[in-house]
Amino acid sequence: MIHDLGPQLFNGLVLGAFYAIVAIGLSLIMNLTGTINMAHGSFMTLAGYLAYSLVLRGTSFWFALIAAPLIVVVVGIVVERTLVRPLYKREPFYSLLMTFGLSLIAEEVYRLIWGPNGVPFSPPASLNGALSLGFMSFPTFRIFIAVVLVVAIVALALFLTRTRFGLRLRAAVQDTEMIAALGTNTQLLYAVNFGLGIFLAGIAGVLAGGMLGLSPTSGNALLMPAFVTVIIGGMGSLFGSIVGGLLIGLAISLTTLFIPAASEVSMYVLMAVVLLVRPRGLFGEEGIFG
Amino acid sequence: MSRPVLSRRSFVTLAGAGSAAAAFGIPAYIPRIGEAAESIKIGLLEPYTGVYAGPAENETHGFEMAADAWNKRGGIMGRKIELVKEDEQNDPGVAAQKARKLVNQDKVLALVGTVSSGVSLSVAGVANSLGTLFIDSGGHTDDVTGKSCHWNVFRTCHSTWMETHATGYSLAKRFGKRWFLITPDYAYGHSLETGFKDVIARVNGTIVGDELTPLGTTDFSSYLTKIDAAKPDVVLVLVQGDDYTNCLKQMNQFGLLKKYPVGGPQVELEPLYGLPPEARQGYWGIEWYYKSDKTLGKGNKLAHEFVANTIKRYGKPPTARNAFGYVTLDRLAQAMSDAKSTDPVKVARAIEGVHFNSIFNGSGYYRKEDHQLMWPMWVAKIRPDGSPGDKYDLFDVTDIAAAEAIEQTVAQKEQVCKLGYP
Repeated sequence: MIHDLGPQLFNGLVLGAFYAIVAIGLSLIMNLTGTINMAHGSFMTLAGYLAYSLVLRGTSFWFALIAAPLIVVVVGIVVERTLVRPLYKREPFYSLLMTFGLSLIAEEVYRLIWGPNGVPFSPPASLNGALSLGFMSFPTFRIFIAVVLVVAIVALALFLTRTRFGLRLRAAVQDTEMIAALGTNTQLLYAVNFGLGIFLAGIAGVLAGGMLGLSPTSGNALLMPAFVTVIIGGMGSLFGSIVGGLLIGLAISLTTLFIPAASEVSMYVLMAVVLLVRPRGLFGEEGIFG
Repeated sequence: MSRPVLSRRSFVTLAGAGSAAAAFGIPAYIPRIGEAAESIKIGLLEPYTGVYAGPAENETHGFEMAADAWNKRGGIMGRKIELVKEDEQNDPGVAAQKARKLVNQDKVLALVGTVSSGVSLSVAGVANSLGTLFIDSGGHTDDVTGKSCHWNVFRTCHSTWMETHATGYSLAKRFGKRWFLITPDYAYGHSLETGFKDVIARVNGTIVGDELTPLGTTDFSSYLTKIDAAKPDVVLVLVQGDDYTNCLKQMNQFGLLKKYPVGGPQVELEPLYGLPPEARQGYWGIEWYYKSDKTLGKGNKLAHEFVANTIKRYGKPPTARNAFGYVTLDRLAQAMSDAKSTDPVKVARAIEGVHFNSIFNGSGYYRKEDHQLMWPMWVAKIRPDGSPGDKYDLFDVTDIAAAEAIEQTVAQKEQVCKLGYP
């Protein structure tokens, strides 16, 4: 069992990176405008489906990996301008209800367009297969996923800390009124911020579609762990989402090794512990990136 | 969720609103115009939303084909069949509610349908308390015709015992007697496990690994890494639906499909369509197939017409789910016709024990002692890309097993099943 530990740790980290990326997207949207996006999973699924359809029409997987999330971002911004914006002035409860309804509608739409069964989306042949590391083989696709997610997180970090726009975003999270008073177009900020969160969801969605099945109900499976990640990492902290995601990923895979039946529960246990010991989450309410 | 505004109260309200909205669904309250009083209403419960929407749709198509065929001939005793559909959402609680509504408000004369075993059991119980017939077209758990059997409950699809025995012997003979199981950790999975353990004992083999995976597992890697160490002759995948898709996809990515033969008690075309071709491998139990003499019977006109009409009407060939729907309604209608009555007890008596020919090879009958449809089951090898000109042709049927050889005997069943006719 000990020699299983290494691969399991790696699996846990890949899984964790997944949850982290989805959680960061959720967190970005939540931090700035208080919008709880219950449709986040639906955007992920949409990206997966679009990638599938693009590849079916002959584009390469690599093209679809970038194009599908971008198309979903456009959809996301339209949703933000038409459905989310009217609710900014209200309690977060309203956006939660609205996005929940949206997720139900989305599921039916996907069923209408792509059918009720799953669709066979798989990574390109170059990523299929496994890398042998002596004691076990690793699916190349998972290594690829890990790389993409790390690149995405680093890129996001650079964007938020090294660009003017990123700076304004972080400032807006701290004090929206002040930054509006200083002349920033906050509506543009909200839209771009939402789009950014959706872009991350889109990337995660395409990758998830390759690793797991792709069906109208796919989005739901990854949404709950993402919310748990945000709680554990702390509301308001993107760094917390990363740490939270990795922690959950590790918790789930290590529990699977010893007590498989408890693997789903482990993340909720972790959440309960964190809430008891430090209710604001590990890095909560300290602004973006610590 | 940790902000004070989104407290328990908000969540409970949301959950309440959400489930209320979901429960009432599409209005069946819209009154039907026309000859509603004359027709024979049959309540059809299927999971139109959720993970089993695909099979639900196909079962429904099968039901519709049978209803139409009967209605073309004038209906049952001169009365047209009317299918009243409700979405049970793959949830036993919702299913019970909808079943009650169908019987009490819509005044259906019988209930049919369901895909998930949990839902089938729930509807069976409700139907029994209301004294209404229920024919379980698609829920497989042994209990429906075992310890939870009732006089008013019949089952069309094969039981889990039949599935394990149809495939178990075949897999042992073909590949060997060291088995590695990947089992979904709930009632259905456990009953499959029991069935396979029975087979392996009879062939003097061993189960070298049995991984119980929680329902809804997305990441199977930790279970798959144990396969190499166990050195099995064949890997049996018992998980179904989305879990099946994830498991096979990942087995492929880990290179396991090239190393070990894979098989299992059952596979359906619906999840297979969702798997990339390189992950479509192995020998699996199948309950019917649209394109094989072994499953349809050589020269079976009724079967070939059924297949052709389904393709014409719905644009794709029928799966086993279509067959379940069709056989269920066809036999129900026949029983009502034979009994010249819609009284549940008389119809139940008219269904059981009657041998009939239908859209499958040979003949079948709903066994008197437990109301299980006794019809053959088959094993097939998957053709990853279909056949030239037919992308749906994924099965190469290799074995056929007679029902009596793969189901528990009457004597065994009578120990657990008491029908309890009124």
